[in-house]
Amino acid sequence: MSLSWSRTLAITQKEIYHILRDPFTMALSLGLPVIMIFLFGFAIEFNVKYIPLAVQDADQTQASRKLAEYFGSSNYFIVNYVSNPEQAQNALQSSQARASLLIPGGFQKDLSPHNITEAQILLDGSDNSTVGPILSYLSSMQAISAKRLANYDPPKAIDLKTRFLFNPELNSRWFVIPGLAVVIMAILSVLLTTLTIAREWENGSMELMLSTPVRPIEIIMGKLIPYAVLGLAAVTFVYIISRTVFHIPFLGNLFVFSIGCILFLITYLAQGLLISVLVRNQQIAMQIGIMSGLLPAQLLSGFIFPVESMPTFFQYFTMLLPARWFMTIARASYLKGSTLLEMWIPFFALTLFCIIFILLAIHNFKTDLEP
Amino acid sequence: MISWIVFKGFLKKELKQVLRDKRMRVLLFLAPLIQLTIFGFAISTDVKNLKLWTSISPNDTILEHIYQHAIASGWFIPVNANRNSDPYELLQSGKADAILVAPPGGLTKAVGREDAPLQLLVNSINVIQAQSTENYMKAIIDQVLVDDLKKQLPESPIKFVVRILYNPTLETSFFMIPGVISLLICILTIVLTCMSITREKELGTFEMLISAPLSASDIILGKTIPFIILGMIDVPLILGMSILLFHVPMQGSFLVLLLVSFVFVCTTVAIGTLISTFAKNQQQSTLGSFLFLFPAILLSGLLFPIENMPEYMKWFSYLDPIAHYLALLRNIMLKGGDASFILKHTAILALIGCILIYISYKRFHTTLE
Repeated sequence: MSLSWSRTLAITQKEIYHILRDPFTMALSLGLPVIMIFLFGFAIEFNVKYIPLAVQDADQTQASRKLAEYFGSSNYFIVNYVSNPEQAQNALQSSQARASLLIPGGFQKDLSPHNITEAQILLDGSDNSTVGPILSYLSSMQAISAKRLANYDPPKAIDLKTRFLFNPELNSRWFVIPGLAVVIMAILSVLLTTLTIAREWENGSMELMLSTPVRPIEIIMGKLIPYAVLGLAAVTFVYIISRTVFHIPFLGNLFVFSIGCILFLITYLAQGLLISVLVRNQQIAMQIGIMSGLLPAQLLSGFIFPVESMPTFFQYFTMLLPARWFMTIARASYLKGSTLLEMWIPFFALTLFCIIFILLAIHNFKTDLEP
Repeated sequence: MISWIVFKGFLKKELKQVLRDKRMRVLLFLAPLIQLTIFGFAISTDVKNLKLWTSISPNDTILEHIYQHAIASGWFIPVNANRNSDPYELLQSGKADAILVAPPGGLTKAVGREDAPLQLLVNSINVIQAQSTENYMKAIIDQVLVDDLKKQLPESPIKFVVRILYNPTLETSFFMIPGVISLLICILTIVLTCMSITREKELGTFEMLISAPLSASDIILGKTIPFIILGMIDVPLILGMSILLFHVPMQGSFLVLLLVSFVFVCTTVAIGTLISTFAKNQQQSTLGSFLFLFPAILLSGLLFPIENMPEYMKWFSYLDPIAHYLALLRNIMLKGGDASFILKHTAILALIGCILIYISYKRFHTTLE
């Protein structure tokens, strides 16, 4: 497989004209990642706050009112009083409340260090992502109210001191922004190239191109180069914003990270080209592009849902996703300052995918006119 | 209004065009089911398999029990490393996610002295994972203390008895699957509609439609209703699969769910049509769909709780049809459906749908003339 650079560059030039002629595509590929990072960088927050809590107080005493007050003043909950248990249940049913606190009659009377007084909590389990945090708030609310209302303050036999490394304040943005950038770039790259070859087959310009001496490898490489440059420009913008606007630390080696970015972009661009080569029909190419790009990159790459928590089979399955590997590289480069040696596995995997996708695209590029 | 004969012709043409290609049939009816299966089984919102390491000095029974408890809980898995490893290096290299560091002389002795600080080092690259690690460890330590010291601590005089409603075992698939359903249906219908219309524009067959003796509204209805039908075929297919394979409860009425789905599919088809009126070619309509889908998925409440977002983003999510449909699916499937909730969200969804249909109708009209 020899490659003539002059022919490759000719294809590149032709593709650049395509891009320049279509300002919408260019604006979108440069602007979309930046806008998304801005919007969601500020918006995404994992520390659940202000949970609507329906309180039904059957006791109506000083102690029961104080208990509700502790919930309200914690900032975790917003207290809304309801008058009977049915209303509390209805509030949960209609999603007006996420949790409800039912204080039984006689709460204050039973309150003493030698007696156990129970209050019931109902939680809305239909949204798993909030149940975990609410449960851990509840255990600290229980400790606070027992201390203040019943003078219960047992000595701690073991004092657990947690140190969070790499993101000491558990800042959601540090976690989300590098990940979000990976997800956006993965999908955008697939979509940019997924139609390029199918389109040429559909409108007939491919037949013209095939009558010239240009070879498949040159078409593939020639089409990869301009989009890789476009993607790299978008990544650079995202990097600058993450550093200047969001002040996310970058502890790794910028050069190593850039190599990773280029590998990652080319891998996804090549995936798009492979789809385009295989199906030769824009409508189907697009469906496959979105299906193989959008949802897997968002749900299986470890962006939010950790890969380690998946069943063993699916942990292996996600290894087929280039985004999963670059997710590791991006987060480790930003927050951990990992070296190339520490990240050799994801780098190796990305390089492998990159080569496999390009080779498959070239190999499957049929030069016969009948599909 | 569109005549039945014209409509039947359109329906036949569109369905034929879409379903002619075997690959398209697979993409429309089989691929969603495969995706549902993968996402349903793979994703778990409970954090598991955290790599835990600790250096236990001989005779430190309490620390050893904490470690054994942690491994037995299924939340943590052991790490093979030298007893004298540097904890920071293990975290840095990713060999461990959490490390317990006992005070000098061992934890058991320190507990005897009644001054036992136990350090937990956590890899907090993933914020959610880090928080769960701390909570799990606290629970494990409390349990070990009760077991080991036998010194029954006086119980807390105030106890919260917690009951989790609707999904008592916190099954992740019950939570994820309504989300995946709404995403799949939305993606399928939008992509299908806008690609099909821009395709006709690109190929020039759109001109032929215009020159045919059809009114503009005939063309619009004829080009959109087939996709609503295709979308509505997918709804029971995907729903049936979620109920049969994942045993997602179906507490509410199936009829209400179909009705709500119909409103949603009409809305997404309108979005697809609207995108196609802006796009000059299929490349643009691809990117246009992405421009809508990406933020709409992030705002839907599947990946991040909407309640946590700042006010201005909440407003965006009120405009997001996926967010309303997802809320409706969860409410109907898991909670059995609350009339006022369903009415409210369906009304908003219908309103968004009507506005979009109106705008895309207007824009489509100008394209036609």
